[in-house]
Amino acid sequence: MGFFDDKQEWLAEVFAQYPEDRRRSALMPLLRRVQQEEGYVDFERMKEIAALVGTTATEVAGVMSFYSYYQGLPTGKYHIQVCRTLSCKLAGSDELWHTLSERLGILPGEVTADGRFSLQAVECLGSCHTGPVIQINDEHYVERVTKARLEALLEGLMQDKPLEEVRRSLPDEDKMGKATIELEGGEPS
Amino acid sequence: MPKVKVNDRTVEVPPGTSAMDAIFHAGYDVPLFCAERHLSPTGSCRMCLVKAGAPRKGPDGEWITDESGEIKIFWFPKLMASCTLAVSDGMVIDTLSDEVRHAQSGMVELTLANHPLDCPTCDKGGACDLQDRAYEYGLDEKFYTGPTGEPVYTRYEFTKRHVDKHHPLSEFIILDRERCIHCKRCVRYFEEIPGDQVLDFIERAVHTFIGTADEGLPSNFSGNITDICPVGALLDRVARFRGRNWEFEQTPSVSVDDASGQYIWIDARSGRIERIRARENPELNDIWISDAARFGHEWADMDRITTPLVRKGDALEPATWEEALAAMRRGLEDVDRTRIGLLLPGDATLEEGMAAAALASQFGTGYLDFEGRTAVPATNFPAATFASVLEADYILVLGDPTEELPIAHVWIHKRLRGVKMPQRLNHGTPVADLAIREHTPPDGSLLGAFAPHPTRVMEWAASRGVFAPGQAAAFLAAFEAALAGREPEEAAGVSPEAVKRAAESWKSAERRVLFVGAEVLMDVKAAQLAEKIAKSQGAVVFAMTPAANARGLEAMGVWPAGDARAPRAVFTAAEDPAADLLEMADFHVFHVPRLNDKVRRYADVVLPAKTPYEKRGTLLNVENRLVGLEPAHVRAGEAEGLVQALALFASAAGVEPPLRFVRQARARFLDRYKVNLDRLDPYGTIWRPRVSLAPRPLSQEGNLYLKPSMWKARHRLGEAAGRALGVLELAAHPETALAEGLDEGAVLEVETPAGALSARLVFDAGLPAGWFYLPAGVPAMRLPFRALVPRGGEAS
Repeated sequence: MGFFDDKQEWLAEVFAQYPEDRRRSALMPLLRRVQQEEGYVDFERMKEIAALVGTTATEVAGVMSFYSYYQGLPTGKYHIQVCRTLSCKLAGSDELWHTLSERLGILPGEVTADGRFSLQAVECLGSCHTGPVIQINDEHYVERVTKARLEALLEGLMQDKPLEEVRRSLPDEDKMGKATIELEGGEPS
Repeated sequence: MPKVKVNDRTVEVPPGTSAMDAIFHAGYDVPLFCAERHLSPTGSCRMCLVKAGAPRKGPDGEWITDESGEIKIFWFPKLMASCTLAVSDGMVIDTLSDEVRHAQSGMVELTLANHPLDCPTCDKGGACDLQDRAYEYGLDEKFYTGPTGEPVYTRYEFTKRHVDKHHPLSEFIILDRERCIHCKRCVRYFEEIPGDQVLDFIERAVHTFIGTADEGLPSNFSGNITDICPVGALLDRVARFRGRNWEFEQTPSVSVDDASGQYIWIDARSGRIERIRARENPELNDIWISDAARFGHEWADMDRITTPLVRKGDALEPATWEEALAAMRRGLEDVDRTRIGLLLPGDATLEEGMAAAALASQFGTGYLDFEGRTAVPATNFPAATFASVLEADYILVLGDPTEELPIAHVWIHKRLRGVKMPQRLNHGTPVADLAIREHTPPDGSLLGAFAPHPTRVMEWAASRGVFAPGQAAAFLAAFEAALAGREPEEAAGVSPEAVKRAAESWKSAERRVLFVGAEVLMDVKAAQLAEKIAKSQGAVVFAMTPAANARGLEAMGVWPAGDARAPRAVFTAAEDPAADLLEMADFHVFHVPRLNDKVRRYADVVLPAKTPYEKRGTLLNVENRLVGLEPAHVRAGEAEGLVQALALFASAAGVEPPLRFVRQARARFLDRYKVNLDRLDPYGTIWRPRVSLAPRPLSQEGNLYLKPSMWKARHRLGEAAGRALGVLELAAHPETALAEGLDEGAVLEVETPAGALSARLVFDAGLPAGWFYLPAGVPAMRLPFRALVPRGGEAS
């Protein structure tokens, strides 16, 4: 069964927002809906969307791959996105990436055995002054991710505490925004 | 018209011209990678940077002047990509200053930064835009010097990006992602020309690569991307590693694979055809050719007969021409000359047709025919040029242009996208035509498409339908009724609403174009109805004949006439004549390039023939355009042309040959029709022959429907084509198949005129019930449905 089979009304609403001959424009809302509900966009879904908006699976794949938001493979409960653009890189995002990858034992595209974590490198998250930055799922930023903060974060997530609560209880969370935290988790000077 | 000053020259160009074309028009050069004729300009490579400026008018409507009273030029603050910059009156463009050259050399450097520079092993080497531009516009000692003042030509001291280097996109196209410079020509090409968006950019920024999610580039026009790729990223896999560009002998010729006569280059090396490329003809095929024309050449080099063969007992044995002549004399000794049959291939040239017709009249035989002939002569229909498609207000298609006349698919798509014939400038077709836009959806209201099976153009058409094979006449009758204002009945499976919609659009249009495929042309009643509708409504018709030179042969009088007494001896230059014709005769002379089962079984004498790639001759295409074949350098032993073979056959029959050489035929043609076939216009000469021939029906019945296919029987012989096509698909409506006890996926043996083929059964609910469909590389045909034997046991 297709994903949109029982969403005809919603589809009609979305298509109504674009001119009749520009149905391709509805590509993004459709992709977003699938991503939100299923956590990733399967190839079968791409083909379904392609047929609905009148294009090819290739174009859907092209649009999808442009945005790091869309996933082609299933993700974990906590999808960790590590910024790898310049500022974060200078602040040590490479080390952060390797630490995370080793600690969780996964590579991009994989999910930890308990289904909790998946990992992705993304481009600039727009918080260059507080690098290295990671984003968890759609809403949560964790900034200045030092080793100590990372440990505390993973610890909290392992216990499935609410994300916001975990973030607030991270070491040095009160000093965020101040340029004084040592990256390796030492005492602030 | 805006006046533009390019460096020191002032030119006038039509409004809307791009600065790039103004520069070329003025005779200057500007480097480019992403702009391409017939594609939308996008300015993605930034190679064509120029300094540009324009005067401005003040509030008083007068040009603003500087202190000295001269009209002041307001320069754009940065260098501009000339391909996306439209000219304006008084614009000044500078392409020669150091500022521009410095920027261009910087762009070359950036483009080369991640390019592997493996030119010595690259097939594009020697014909590569990037090579040429790097030489012309690359780093200049003027701009870069080392610490001691020595010129610097390269600054590549870092590791290059390494990605997928041998990525087959399909059996015919291979992609080298390291060489790709992301000009997007191939992506735009697929979207804008055939309308199959099967390639796209995947990922973004430095990670971007060209890729597809659809299996094996499902398009009949995939090969063109290898021509337009400015680097060696997209390569013709059939021709890969078969020669360097400077080793090929390049022959300008035309393709005989369909009735359009697409312009091609034949690249041969050491007597072997290695590659076919598109040759520009802005009136016919622009710079595009179909995949069949490009990749279907391997058969030309396969198992050629290099000497005459004469039957000795059961075997055909090599012989000299003298022995072959003697054998023909013996065979024709007591054959009544009026009972000799002559059969030509559908791609026989005008000259060959003339020789055959002259010989037939000398024999006094009426049995003169050609392969792929339609029941109704194509010359009955008022033809027009492809350019008229762009002017059409309504296009009605009865058939499958994508398969039957591939280039028509491109013209129809152009019309639906609203593309006009481009202006011709000093350098030809505009390189960056700002009138062409990316992502223009096709306007389906201009198109009605009906066929016995779902077609590619149907996807665009506002009114469309699938009728049962053999019911073209019923459909046309319903269409005619709707035109006359009567309420149409359901026509052979097509809904009356669709017929009515099509008829209304047709009626309200001023300029109408009708495409009729073999399905209509094979059916006398349907063809006459179509002719009547077209002529009474002043429509022009593209009769998509299976034979490449149907019009030319008809004009030369190659058409069966008189009584139908069975011929006793047959001369056939067709490779696959009908078995019943061969059964009728006792003596068979074959003039073919290659042996096949029929030749082995029936031939008494075999004369080695030239393939169309080796001939000099002329075709009359679907538009009534004379286009010329030129012989490529192919090693073909003692192969002779058809005119010579016919002359030999004539003397064997004791008749003075009416024509011995192509040259004589051309002289006679000039004498008779005042057209010099030696001096055709570069893009072909329009010639409207006056022909009146009576329809001659061909027997057709059965419920196996052979769809015309771009991949004609002989193309399948090629290794690459064979691999790509794999197992054929026999399609049927699920109910029809299940009624025969056949499930989807069953692999079957299917009997066809082209021999037994292996096919896999697929269900297609869009097909009319009661029929089996097979793309078979022959004219649309209906055959008795033969027992189909599942291979490897029962279907699962």
